[in-house]
Amino acid sequence: MDGYLDGELDPITSQAIEQHLRECHNCDQAYKTQRSLIRAIGNATPYYKAPSELRERIQSSLRKEMAERPTRSVARDVQPLFSRRQPQPRTIGWETSWNWLALAAAVIFAAIIAWNLGPRLQRPGANQFLATQLIASHVRSLMANHLTDVGSSDQHTVKPWLDAKLDFAPAVVDLSNEGFPLIGGRLDYLDNRAVAALIYQRRKHFINLFVWPAAPDETRTPKTITRQGYQLLHWVESDLNYWAVSDINEKELQEFKQLFEEQSVPH
Amino acid sequence: MALLLNAEHAFGLEDFESTAKIVKFAIVPKKHEEPDQSPKEELMSFEAAMLPHLDAAHNLARWLLRNEQDAQDVVQEAYLRAFKSFGGFHGSNGRAWLLTIVRNTSYTLLKKNHAVDLTTTFDEEIHGSGHESVSPATILEHAEDAELVKEAMDELPAEFREILALRHQEGLSYKEIADIAQIPLGTVMSRLARARDKLKECLAARIGKEK
Repeated sequence: MDGYLDGELDPITSQAIEQHLRECHNCDQAYKTQRSLIRAIGNATPYYKAPSELRERIQSSLRKEMAERPTRSVARDVQPLFSRRQPQPRTIGWETSWNWLALAAAVIFAAIIAWNLGPRLQRPGANQFLATQLIASHVRSLMANHLTDVGSSDQHTVKPWLDAKLDFAPAVVDLSNEGFPLIGGRLDYLDNRAVAALIYQRRKHFINLFVWPAAPDETRTPKTITRQGYQLLHWVESDLNYWAVSDINEKELQEFKQLFEEQSVPH
Repeated sequence: MALLLNAEHAFGLEDFESTAKIVKFAIVPKKHEEPDQSPKEELMSFEAAMLPHLDAAHNLARWLLRNEQDAQDVVQEAYLRAFKSFGGFHGSNGRAWLLTIVRNTSYTLLKKNHAVDLTTTFDEEIHGSGHESVSPATILEHAEDAELVKEAMDELPAEFREILALRHQEGLSYKEIADIAQIPLGTVMSRLARARDKLKECLAARIGKEK
C-alpha cells in the first residue's frame, strides 16, 4: 500500500492494486484515508529552512579551508606531474625521426577529422544533453522547495544580488504589467558553469530563464525544443545565452521572450 | 582536446603515437593555470552545486538532532567534509551525496552524545496505549496541527524521523533514500510504512491524552 501511495511500484503491480481498489470498497476506503493522512502530515510537518547566518558561516569556513589549500595542492599536483612526464620519452623511445613524422601525420589527420566531423558529431549530443540539464534544473527548482534564492518582484533587488554572485551581469526586468510577474532569482549550475536563473510566473505556471555568457561560436538563431511536455526557447542577445524553460505553451513562451527582449534592451 | 579524442574514437584510430601526443598537449596549459586558478574555481563550482541544497541539509540535520545549534554545527561540518572530498564526486545527484554526508555527520554526533535512538530501542510500551479508541478520521482532523505533528515526530526514533523527512519533505525517491540511509530498497519501503504507522500512533496517543 505504501509503495503504491508513493508511486514507487512497478506498473504491473500498481495496475493490479488499482484494479483491486476499484472493486473492493473497504480497501479503497482504507487507501483514501491513508492517502489524506500522509498528505496532511506531510503538509503539517515543519520544514526547517537554513538561517542566512548559516550560509555565511559555511561560505567563510570554505574560504578559510581554500586559503589553506593552495600550498598543499600545488606541492601535490605539480610534483608528480614532472616525475610522471620525465620518464615518458624514455619509455616511448623516440629514436628515429620516422616516429615524429608518423606522429605529426597522425595529429594533423586527427585534427582535420576533428575539424570537419567534430562539430557534426558533437553538436546534437551536446544540445540534447543541455536540454536534459535545463529541464532537470527547471523541474528540480519546482519540486525541491527551492525556486528562488532571492525572492523578490523588484528587479533592483534581484539584479544586484545576482551581479554579486556571478562573473557577468544579466539583465533583469519585471514583466508584471504584461502578465509575467518576476518572482525572484536563483543561482544554478549548467553547462559546467554557474548561471543565473530568473523566475517568472504565468498564472499558475513558472518560467525559469537561465542566463550565462555565450561562447563565441554559439549559434545565434533562436530555436525551440519541445520535450517531455516542456518548452525550451533559446536565443542569444548581447553575448548572453538565454534559455527559457516552462510548461506553458510555445506561443506564450514566444510572447514572453519578445517582452523580455523589448524591456531588457537599454533605451 | 575532447574533440580530438572523440573524432578518433569514431574512426577507431586510437593508436600509440597520437595517444602520446595528447598527453603532451593536455599537460602544457594545465601547468600554467593550475596553481592559482583551480582552488578558486573548485570552490565556485562546489558552492554552485552544493549551496542550493543548504535548506535540505539543514532540515535533515534539524530533524535528526532535534536541536538548532547542533544542526547548524553539523551542517557546517558536513559542508567542509563535502568540500574536501568534492574532487572525488562525479555523480549527478549532488543533493543525495550531500545529504549522505549530513546524515553520517549527524549520527556521529548523536552517537557521541549517546543520543542514538534507533528503531530497535524504541519503547513500544509507552506509545502503545490509549489510542485504540481514536479513529483515523479523528487523527486526520488533527493531522494539520503543525505543533502536534512536530511533537509526535520528535518522539520517533532517529531512523523514522530521517525517513519521514526525506520522503515527505524532500520528496526523494526510494532509491535516493536507500543511497542516503545506506539500506536496501526493500528496507526503505518497510521502514517508511512502520514510520508512518508509528507516527499515527504517536498522534493518536497525543489526541487521546488531550481529550
